[in-house]
Amino acid sequence: MQQRAQDIIYTKQPYIEDVGPRRIKSIQFSTMSASDILKASECQVHLGQYYDSNKKAIVGGLLDTRMGAPNKHGTCQTCGGSFTDCPGHFGYLNLVLPVYNVGYLSTILDILKCICKSCSRVLLDEKLHKKYLKRMRNPRTEPLKKNELMKEIVKKCSSMASSKAVKCLRCGYMNGMVKKAGSVVGIIHDRSKLSDGYLEECKSAIGHTREARAPIGLATYILNPVKVLSLFQRMVEEDCELLYLQDRPEKLIITTVAVPPISIRPSVFTDGSQSNENDITERLKQIIQFNAKLRLELLEGRRTGIKYLIGWDELQAVVTLYINSDVRIPLDMQVGRPLSGFVQRLTGKQGRFRQNLAGKRVEFTGRTVISPDPNLKITEVAIPIHMARILTYPERVTHHNIEKLRQCVNNGSYKYPGARMVTYPDGSSKMLTGNYRKRIAEELKSGCIVHRHLEDGDVVLFNRQPSLHRMSIMCHRARIMPWRTLRFNESVCNPYNADFDGDEMNLHVPQTEEARTEAFLLMGVQNNLCTPKNGEILVASTQDFLTSSFLITRKDTFYDRAAFSLMCSYMNDGMDPVDLPTPSVLKPIELWTGKQLFSVLLRPHANVRVYVNLIVKEKSYSKPNKEHKKEQETMCPNDGYVYFRNSELISGQLGKATLGNGNKDGLYSILLRDYNAFAAATCMNRLAKLSARWIGNHGFSIGIDDVQPGKKLNDEKGKTISSGYRHCNKLIADYNGGKLALKPGCDATQTLEAEITERLNKLREEAGDVCMKELHWRNSPLIMSQCGSKGSPINISQMIACVGQQSVGGSRAPDGFIDRSLPHFPRKSKTPAAKGFVANSFYSGLSATEFFFHTMGGREGLVDTAVFLKTCLDRYLWKKIEPGTAIGAIGAQSIGEPGTQMTLKTFHFAGVASMNITQGVPRIKEIINGAKRISTPIITVELEHNSNVNAARIIKGRIQKTALGQVAKSIKIVMTSRSASIKVTLDMKTIREAQLSLDANIVRELILETPKIKRKLQRINVLEDGKLEVFPGGDRNKLHFELHSLKNMLPTVVVKGIKTVERVVIAQKKLDDAENDHGGPKYNMFVEGTGLQAVMGTEGVDGRKTKSNHIIEVQETLGIEAARKCIIDEIKGTMESHGMSIDIRHMMLLADVMTSKGVVLGITRFGIQKMDKSVLMLASFEKTSDHLFNASVKGKDDKIEGVSECIIMGIPVAIGTGVLKIQQRVDPLPMLDYGLDPIIS
Amino acid sequence: MEDIFIVGSGCKNFDKVSRIEARSERLELFMQLDVNTEVYPIKQEERYAVKLTTTLDPDGTPDTGYYNPIKPGSIADNFDYIMHGKLYKILDEGSGASRKVEMLLSFGGLLMSLKGNPECVTDFQLDQKYFLCMRKLV
Repeated sequence: MQQRAQDIIYTKQPYIEDVGPRRIKSIQFSTMSASDILKASECQVHLGQYYDSNKKAIVGGLLDTRMGAPNKHGTCQTCGGSFTDCPGHFGYLNLVLPVYNVGYLSTILDILKCICKSCSRVLLDEKLHKKYLKRMRNPRTEPLKKNELMKEIVKKCSSMASSKAVKCLRCGYMNGMVKKAGSVVGIIHDRSKLSDGYLEECKSAIGHTREARAPIGLATYILNPVKVLSLFQRMVEEDCELLYLQDRPEKLIITTVAVPPISIRPSVFTDGSQSNENDITERLKQIIQFNAKLRLELLEGRRTGIKYLIGWDELQAVVTLYINSDVRIPLDMQVGRPLSGFVQRLTGKQGRFRQNLAGKRVEFTGRTVISPDPNLKITEVAIPIHMARILTYPERVTHHNIEKLRQCVNNGSYKYPGARMVTYPDGSSKMLTGNYRKRIAEELKSGCIVHRHLEDGDVVLFNRQPSLHRMSIMCHRARIMPWRTLRFNESVCNPYNADFDGDEMNLHVPQTEEARTEAFLLMGVQNNLCTPKNGEILVASTQDFLTSSFLITRKDTFYDRAAFSLMCSYMNDGMDPVDLPTPSVLKPIELWTGKQLFSVLLRPHANVRVYVNLIVKEKSYSKPNKEHKKEQETMCPNDGYVYFRNSELISGQLGKATLGNGNKDGLYSILLRDYNAFAAATCMNRLAKLSARWIGNHGFSIGIDDVQPGKKLNDEKGKTISSGYRHCNKLIADYNGGKLALKPGCDATQTLEAEITERLNKLREEAGDVCMKELHWRNSPLIMSQCGSKGSPINISQMIACVGQQSVGGSRAPDGFIDRSLPHFPRKSKTPAAKGFVANSFYSGLSATEFFFHTMGGREGLVDTAVFLKTCLDRYLWKKIEPGTAIGAIGAQSIGEPGTQMTLKTFHFAGVASMNITQGVPRIKEIINGAKRISTPIITVELEHNSNVNAARIIKGRIQKTALGQVAKSIKIVMTSRSASIKVTLDMKTIREAQLSLDANIVRELILETPKIKRKLQRINVLEDGKLEVFPGGDRNKLHFELHSLKNMLPTVVVKGIKTVERVVIAQKKLDDAENDHGGPKYNMFVEGTGLQAVMGTEGVDGRKTKSNHIIEVQETLGIEAARKCIIDEIKGTMESHGMSIDIRHMMLLADVMTSKGVVLGITRFGIQKMDKSVLMLASFEKTSDHLFNASVKGKDDKIEGVSECIIMGIPVAIGTGVLKIQQRVDPLPMLDYGLDPIIS
Repeated sequence: MEDIFIVGSGCKNFDKVSRIEARSERLELFMQLDVNTEVYPIKQEERYAVKLTTTLDPDGTPDTGYYNPIKPGSIADNFDYIMHGKLYKILDEGSGASRKVEMLLSFGGLLMSLKGNPECVTDFQLDQKYFLCMRKLV
């Protein structure tokens, strides 16, 4: 027999998570019957008053103290608890007559559609009934499938009823159509189509009464709640199961209202005496009043107006509003001011879900304006003393820190560094505001917890909204500083996307050692230098740091010993030893170069073991050209080849490519890869300090003289622009004269636009080139654009030379007036100036019209930024994998974050002019939503013989849709005295030219194959080659009309090609060098439109290489795997066209999620639902109330597993470190046998 | 290594630094060199004695690589322009008789390329620090 293992003695007690006394395992949604409500209630509420004459809550009223403590002073009459202790108790309120619950109305309707309105049985016959029941009972059927099945049944039953009346197979009752009543909350049973004689009987009966005058809709029955209730009560269990109802359907109708506890509808007292009741309370009061009115009505049998029991409708209305105040009810039933209902409490941004459950208020936070401080390390954040005195950290007293904490306690709450509170081991705590502090400090013992002010080195979380990716919240070390702003190193601006124009940021202080450790290790700045989006470095030098590095490492920067030594000491506040290298120039005077300074920066002294080897080509690197065929590498005359060898800067002027963010082989990336985050971080710190101090002394600013063009520049610009204008004018003249050579697949207007746009874009480029060439190297904007800290050559040339063409929606300025963009120009003018070309620079100033065009272009940028936010929300996908990383979240962030930068939502040429494809955010949206109809479907066709243009043309003819009207010379009506017909003459010349194999016989067949026309035809005669005679059939009296309608329809007959194809463009392929050797241009085709299968099947098309950008079509044609590939390729293509690189695995994950169920499911409301997610998650996302009502009808059980649910319930989420639990292997206990040994063993 | 170079053309991409091209008389070397022309102006057609050495100490004590002020009596006394830098690359071009070697040195970013016969560069070692000493010949 084994002894029980002795308790392990730990040197340190392991951390055991305190899960509290209870843990919520799951949430069960259900409906409550009247008896359920009665059981849960403590009292009946029947009085529509709040207080008696003594201002005390009336018993049986809405504020009955049996439902909870009314305020801080009162106690609960049921449990005796105080305001803080008592959670509140329900009351109940009996309604005189039942009413519908508006949330369940659609469910009630569905049920009524399916059952007989006489015997409550499902209208299906026995066989179908059995079949469906079997499928519904199949334990392997998923809830999703069951839902669909239920919908199918509803559809089946209602379709039976909509066409004609359905006779119940069991009782023979004739059922009509059931539908929602128009104006009021109610249900109509439409029996107008019935013909069982009942109607006539009724009519004649009514005709004899006095009320016959009143227009009573006889044929429609209003199904009142009482009737429905009785129907539901009689439903058999089997039918409930068939209709996928978890519970009895009668629970969907309200007979008793549960009066919620006072704590969720507290009264507010203003000026001490006046009480202000909650909206819910007020509404309940109305319910009680209307209920009483209805009771009276019933008792007296009184009727008001033409309708009987109008009070019932009123009660229905008020109960409806109690649940959802957005439901529209007749105007005459609205009473008083609008009050919010329960649904309003839950939904919306301010609703319970998004305001209080999915996001919670927290303590130990701060928020203020941010400002930069290059003297801080990148891992630090400067916190104002004001903030540090309020934010505290509970530190446990040990003999190591007792002196420090004693001092803190002595200082108290207001003096920094102090403490706000002391907690003793017994759980009691004392605030440190009084004079007794000194005593407390003296009595401080190990084990006490001192809530001390923040101090240097404390771990804090730092965040800026919008939190688009995980680097928007990172962990820093605190530095307590004077003044009022939060400060951090500019290098960390990038991940937060922060600038200092008044941005504010948030600060959170983790309160336990575990939280600190986790935060520091997982969210620390130094551990998040790279983005998970694509592995590029994100925390890197920016702006001034780049500028100063660029200037320091210029080839002709020299320093004497004093200057060089000073700069060496800038890097580390003169605190670190520096080994001074031998100067580059020893004689005639000792001079050090700026590049040597960077060698020192990387490796200050011989004991630093950092040896970086790195090659980067900066922007200014001169690529091989005519003069220098060979790569010049380090000998580049512009010094653009950055080469570090053993931490020594050999050559190259440093810029953004080396030091900046957004690259994978810059200096910091290499340091991070070959050494560690610390090495990279130290390097950034040194550079920040050096740059800030150096550029402060050196001076760097921008003035008007920086943008003043010289004489030469002005002359050249004038020449360039006038030559460009001449060219455009010539094009316009050609266009007007009809002499313009058309581009493939374009008409004259498009060609003109394309050519002019091309020319004008070139114009700006030329002006820009001149401008860049003429500027002095000391020009500040030029320096900034060269080193990549800010601005581009385009920005410079816009300031100095020419602003260039303004575009709106991807084309030149549109016509805001009739035939012209602005009334300053003649009509139909196509000159550059009339269509938004701005020839002036910002320096020379824009003319009035130019200014207007510029504002048009500028507005577009603003509109686009607003569009994104919605889409970004849309792509909320959470998915987790086993090791517990929320890869879905990371993927979503990685794809969503660049969306913010996709400002150009417009179209983009796909290699061929005039062929547009949707790009940017709209395209991403299409892909992710799995749109069935996309705006620009394009099939890229590869040809079997791709070097022959003629072959390509023939195939184009096979694919492109050609209508009869396009190949017919004439389609005429011929009327003779004997007959009337339509003569079609084919244009055989065009047909031959277009290489279409067509003749009259084929056309005849094709016309006969068109069902719409065939119906109207008598016969078609082929007269000769290329001529047809079509004879209309039908009624001779209508012959004339038939002829004309035929004449209109004939030109639309598709004689050749694929109907779904709009247009085909042959394109010459851009050749790679490798392919170039085979000689001759290669061709492929772009097909605008759908019909992938047909295109692939066309003769001459290489179906294996043909692609489509229509995901749904790819799935239908080629299958789910192809669709997955298509999704990946399309997202990648779209992102790349905007210059954004995203790790392919994110896109693969997205594609996997979308295709995992075998069909393409969009990441939309509907798609996510189909992925079978939890109710709480769906409710917190969109359509809160619908999901909740649906969940209670279906009796859903929400296991609190997902991220959203855990956040709502306040339970640690099972991702990341949350997946790990301490596991202990417990040996199985030995079997103990106390009884007698068995006789037979 | 020591030789006399005649300065050919030069190009000036920077204010204070020019890249000069020069040919040697004895070893037929072709040199490209960035020179700080602000402190040491160089004109075309001038002749210079050029020496590459690993130490300035006359008795050949190796250099530390870190800053040491020039002591009187060192080799430096004989020259009027001295740079210090690192040999970072040796390139081989062609083969057989036409084989040429190019050495690349960086004097704190001021680059030097020395192209010539393989024999005359045998003594040079990669990653070795060298002093470039120049003296104008009249």
